Amino acid sequence: MTAHEREIRKRERTARMMAYLAGKSAKNRSLSDRICRFLVNRATAVKPEDDFMRDLLIDNDMGFEPDELDRFQRGETS
Amino acid sequence: MPAPNPIDPQQVVDAKYSERKPRPGVTTKRAICATCDIACSVVTEVKDGRVVRVRSSDNPIFRDNICMKGIVAPKNFANPNRILKPLKRVGERGSGQWEEVSWDDAIADIGTRLKAIIAEHGPEAWSVSTSQWNTATDHGLGRRLMNHVGSPNWTSGVALCAGNTAAINRFTYGWYPMGDFQNTKCIVLMGHNPRRHSWTPMYNWIRQAQANGAKLIVTDPRRSSSAERADIWLPLKVGSDAAMMLGWLKVIIDEELYDKAFVEDWTVGFEELKQRVNEYPLERVAKLTGCEPDMIAKAARMYATQGPAIIAWTPITDMQRNSTSAIRLQSILRSICGYVDVPGGEHLQGFNPDIVNESAIEMHEVLSDEQKAKQLGSDKHPAFTYRGQERFRGPTKKVWGQEYANLVMGCHMTPPSSLFRAMAGEGPYPVKAFFFLGNNPIMSYANMKLIIKAIMNQDLVVAHEQFMTPSAQLADYVLPADSWLERPWMMDGFGWTSTVRTSEKSMEPPGECRSTFEFWKLLASALDRPEVVPWESIEDFYDYRLEKLGVTWEEFVATTDVHFKTPEFRKYLKTGFATPSGKVELKSSALEELGFDPLPYFREDPPTDPEYPLKLFTGVREDGFFQTGHRHIEEMRKRHPEPEAFVSPGTAKELKLEEGEWVEVANELAKISIRVAIKDAMPDGLVRIPHGWWKPEMKQGVGHLSGALKYADAQLCRDDEDFLDLEQGIPHLKGVPCRINKVSQDELKTETVVEEVEYTL
Repeated sequence: MTAHEREIRKRERTARMMAYLAGKSAKNRSLSDRICRFLVNRATAVKPEDDFMRDLLIDNDMGFEPDELDRFQRGETS
Repeated sequence: MPAPNPIDPQQVVDAKYSERKPRPGVTTKRAICATCDIACSVVTEVKDGRVVRVRSSDNPIFRDNICMKGIVAPKNFANPNRILKPLKRVGERGSGQWEEVSWDDAIADIGTRLKAIIAEHGPEAWSVSTSQWNTATDHGLGRRLMNHVGSPNWTSGVALCAGNTAAINRFTYGWYPMGDFQNTKCIVLMGHNPRRHSWTPMYNWIRQAQANGAKLIVTDPRRSSSAERADIWLPLKVGSDAAMMLGWLKVIIDEELYDKAFVEDWTVGFEELKQRVNEYPLERVAKLTGCEPDMIAKAARMYATQGPAIIAWTPITDMQRNSTSAIRLQSILRSICGYVDVPGGEHLQGFNPDIVNESAIEMHEVLSDEQKAKQLGSDKHPAFTYRGQERFRGPTKKVWGQEYANLVMGCHMTPPSSLFRAMAGEGPYPVKAFFFLGNNPIMSYANMKLIIKAIMNQDLVVAHEQFMTPSAQLADYVLPADSWLERPWMMDGFGWTSTVRTSEKSMEPPGECRSTFEFWKLLASALDRPEVVPWESIEDFYDYRLEKLGVTWEEFVATTDVHFKTPEFRKYLKTGFATPSGKVELKSSALEELGFDPLPYFREDPPTDPEYPLKLFTGVREDGFFQTGHRHIEEMRKRHPEPEAFVSPGTAKELKLEEGEWVEVANELAKISIRVAIKDAMPDGLVRIPHGWWKPEMKQGVGHLSGALKYADAQLCRDDEDFLDLEQGIPHLKGVPCRINKVSQDELKTETVVEEVEYTL
């Protein structure tokens, strides 16, 4: 086996492991799922402060109130 | 919606991140946003039967995948102007006179009239323009019904955005790969600029990859936000992407930076490719692209040696004169550098074997060869038609398990310009019934004037829509459509990836709004073909699709965010590639058989007309909008109140243009009104025209179309042969000659002027 082949196989194993962890993490039901979610979270998190296009429209969004939407739908407010 | 507008940059810098919990009395649902076509996994918060908030998913693999269009969705769909009942035209077409009717009456009349048209002109006289991913719950059922009835004439916006990419990728290695952003070491963005509010997941993936040390190469005439963060930025001339890639190949082949073992074992046509590439020495490429030879070489070396690398999907190469060659060149670069189907490279995923996929639901096998041969445009521009994709049926069956793989819905389409010409009476046979679902066709394709003429020449026009778009204004029936908040969705990666995700129904649809599933089911019955859509409900339909997993939809959606198989790589070692030769076809046997150049090339612009010394590009939307939608949302319009043409300071100075000044942008086809925005990031001589502008508050109907006749970029988009890709017949939107006319500001400066633009057919 060439060094190149060994390198590719290593990357394939790593990628399969990451996919396994992501799958378990997505289920998030058993203890092992939650451990996987913790690991995936740690491995993938990028600090929000590092988001160079960060937008308060997202950060501060608190949604709407049902009556606010009702009134809007009836054309009572803009 | 308390966010300030406009945003204070200092507040953004000072903001602290914190998780917020749902408010009291709020329940949550896991959903997939279908506001645009990216399908972000999100959480909806429901109170008193309404969705009151949309936020990003709690699942870390979907973290931060949320944009302003998503969070404003509850208000978007509560808009008082939403269509809530079926509308039937009662005056002249486009007169704006409607009466409310019941769904039963509407569908019965539509069925009767469509059957009469089919009886008189044949089933090919019925055409549909839509996109499964915009309507989300179609799942191929429209194609399925059309295939059973006998019409091949389905088209979609994916003809010039991702669907055509998928179809053209098949010519090289038989499938459309997905970049492995999580493991890559180098990312190439060709004119694409994922941002916080546009292609948000890709924006997040790129940030994450760069944080992990991946290189970023950007080719873009503009100094985009991605270009500013790139390791290498090549400011190429608009529309010269194919020439750039030929230059990269020249460097990679001359310096032997390619994967020799892969090329030797798994490709055909390398020597012919090498000869073709030799026609593009860097000096010529530099002239064609406007970039320095040493920078072109540096980028090529980085791509070839800093991998595994990915060339991310880009709409830019989907929308130009050299689209087929450009997409093929991306495929060829991936292949010869050894990045196909390896971790960190471009993954060929195939179908998810656990569900019934949408290509199978479409049942292309029931459409006869005789009817397939009638597909409009397949004679001149066959690449993504049935004829063009025919050679992949056998190999696809061998490698991926079934003959038809309608990846991103883009592999069996009618080229839009060919369809609209036939609808306008300029084709080989009449097309007299036109349906569009979740689609605003007059503004979504090139040559708007032709499309309006085509629609006005129809005997039956049916729209399934949420709002009265300019296209819907010309329909005979406008049927009220539900939204992604109001229906479940099993999302299968558009047949592109093997990932299956689920979306819970968050609230009941208002009024009489119905899903595309219900639309096609009702229409199948009205056409006396109820057996084509036999499922009682969309949940029953999903139960059928999940039978192999042994779970019901109810069980699946309750327990599953995402379902995928452990990935396999280098599957070609066992199966070969799904091409006629079984190998990567650097020289395409399928293109050769169709009568086209089997090798990639660069077709230069036609001679410049001194009347139109500038070049425009379109296709780009402001972040608050997706395609032609969302202009009715107050929060989005506050951010983008008017359409703006971006020009460089140099161009502005030369033409004596001022910031905010209203001008006309004109070419041989039309002129549009637009406001000037002077941007340092723009190169001289180039004008950026935003896609899809109209104003819902403006006058509706023929001659007005809510401002579409004043603002819409589609009027400037040409579809004459010089401006069509040869193989696909899709339009060149990246470098159309134009000029800027100064106009009287008194006539144009008000924001809500109702234009009385006359329109003569």
